Amino acid sequence: MKITKLLIANRGEIAVRIIKTANKLGIKTCCIKTSHEPKAHYLSLADEIIDFTDIVSDVPEFLDVDRIIEAAVAHKVDAIHPGYGFLAESPYFAQRCDDEGITFVGPSADAIYKMGNKTIAKQIATKHKVPLLQGSHGNVSNFDEAIQIADKIGYPVILKAASGGGGRGMRIVEKASQMEKMFKLASNEAEKAFNDPSVFIEKYVRNPRHIEFQIFGDKQGNIIHLGERECSIQRKHQKLIEECPSPALSPELREEMGAEAISIADAVGYYSAGTVEFLLDEDKKFYFMEMNTRIQVEHPVTEEVTGLDLIEMQIKVAEGDSLPIKQEDVQLNGWAMELRINAEDVQAGFSPSLGVVHKVIYPTGPGIRVDTGMYDDSVISPNFDSMVAKLIVHADTREEVIKTLKNALNSFWIRGVKTTVPFHKYVLSHKKFMKGDINTSFIEKELDAFYETDQDEIMLAAFLASYDFAKELENESADDVNFEKGKEINPWVLNKRLKSL
Amino acid sequence: MRRSKKNTEKYIALSAEGKKFEFRDILNGEVKVNNKTQKIKFRQNNGLNFIIYKNKKYLVDILEKDQNKYEIIVNGIGHSFTVESPFSYRRKKFLEKSKQNSKTESITAPMPGKIVDVLVENHAEINKGEPIIILEAMKMQNEILSHVSGTIKNIHVKKNENVMKDDLILEVEK
Repeated sequence: MKITKLLIANRGEIAVRIIKTANKLGIKTCCIKTSHEPKAHYLSLADEIIDFTDIVSDVPEFLDVDRIIEAAVAHKVDAIHPGYGFLAESPYFAQRCDDEGITFVGPSADAIYKMGNKTIAKQIATKHKVPLLQGSHGNVSNFDEAIQIADKIGYPVILKAASGGGGRGMRIVEKASQMEKMFKLASNEAEKAFNDPSVFIEKYVRNPRHIEFQIFGDKQGNIIHLGERECSIQRKHQKLIEECPSPALSPELREEMGAEAISIADAVGYYSAGTVEFLLDEDKKFYFMEMNTRIQVEHPVTEEVTGLDLIEMQIKVAEGDSLPIKQEDVQLNGWAMELRINAEDVQAGFSPSLGVVHKVIYPTGPGIRVDTGMYDDSVISPNFDSMVAKLIVHADTREEVIKTLKNALNSFWIRGVKTTVPFHKYVLSHKKFMKGDINTSFIEKELDAFYETDQDEIMLAAFLASYDFAKELENESADDVNFEKGKEINPWVLNKRLKSL
Repeated sequence: MRRSKKNTEKYIALSAEGKKFEFRDILNGEVKVNNKTQKIKFRQNNGLNFIIYKNKKYLVDILEKDQNKYEIIVNGIGHSFTVESPFSYRRKKFLEKSKQNSKTESITAPMPGKIVDVLVENHAEINKGEPIIILEAMKMQNEILSHVSGTIKNIHVKKNENVMKDDLILEVEK
């Protein structure tokens, strides 16, 4: 069944990304306007707007399944794309779409449920002999039980939210004495984030790489993989840099891991886009971690290297088409890397840098792609994630990608909020990173700083402060009546005025 | 007359890390580095502010100013400076000396967020590195640790309260 009107139940860059493909396919788009960012960029691109600004509710707009379904019915949409995030991982939401005769652009509710619950997912993996890390069989009810299990499998162990994802509700425990505190933290966080306090426990592998496989299935039962992505550069389990392919994989290992990824997806009759995550240890042994039943933030690197439009494939599969390609048609061309530019203060432990993006100019050039929903006067709000943009570069080799990214970062201009640009500049120049010698502890263990600044920059900051101060003093002491007094006046404006005298 | 006097005055910029810079005739847009005079130019382009120095372009901004306290951004990195005249600089030095003898240390919120839990009680002993509160920011729970050892004196926050960056959480008597 052809989709003619698509509700995009998300915001920011992913809404913009989905609209782009919908436009290409001639599908009308419908977006949700919230009171937190009523002037957001994605809204200006939508054909139709569903207005949620008057709603007073404790449930955030993009978490409110019932209201979204109600609006979808009222606006007569025939499909919903949830983007990534809560709705994309909610079997209830997918089921509600089904019940209303609305096409859910994603896998079946059953597949989301089975893979979304990590305990069930592990059982499925065990049954299909996919390598796994040892851990609790099922959820752990209290910290005493957690200590017993941890004693059996050996420290360090990791506590994870059963319904979790994105690093929330995860804690590493190094020794028994930390268990009580960590168990509470993980459980609290899990309850807040996912409305489910249950956690499970597993062996923690030190210095592993995060390797994930992009898989794709159709409703006819075909499943292929589109190669891997390495997302080892993480902070508190939040990915910051992703690349395709991984410098750690040989074609043989790729084939082996890809086959395991497909077998997991096959076990739940998976269709649409999905990601199977593995840990790869220093001996190139890999362990299945979890499957994400949705399009991922980092999907562009796979798109760049394979030349495919994954959103388009999702929509076509949802319409009932079979996959346009077979496994042997999948080609990985060159290298791609994505930097997540977040509005975070790297000088203050990556704390959110909230506020208005007064001005932003993104880099352009051959091989450079910027996926963003933030433009001039966009607001970084505490209600949503802090992403400003994803900077993606595709080139022939990893070295060229890094070189182009460095240049691109030097022409990424933003005023109003602090971003992770200085962090990325620093990492891209790190010897081990350049060699591809990375793992998930890279930030913690290899970086002695999160950014670099040189003597000239510090001196210019001192100069600008002193200049502005001197200018203000001068204005105060001037004998003339000062009409400008109290107004924002900066050296640049003054400079201009002096010139025009 | 006063105007020309201010123009030739010396200014001292002190960074939060203790670096000291001295500028004379600053409004001429010149600095002396290693006895060489360098020109500094301001450029405004597309709503962005740049400084041109030694043929290099720097994106700069005055993020915050409060009297003589400045938060300046250069190429995305923030620098805190206070600007002093030679007289106010001497006074500041004197005040700092007497402050060192003070026995109370304040712990402030490192980021905006919500207090999920307060882990300490009034009058309790605390060691450096021990957690005092759990602060939730951007859906992540963070343990805020004490940077000093001592006795908890005043707790200024409660569970479920929202705090802004640099809000006072509690005081510790050393």
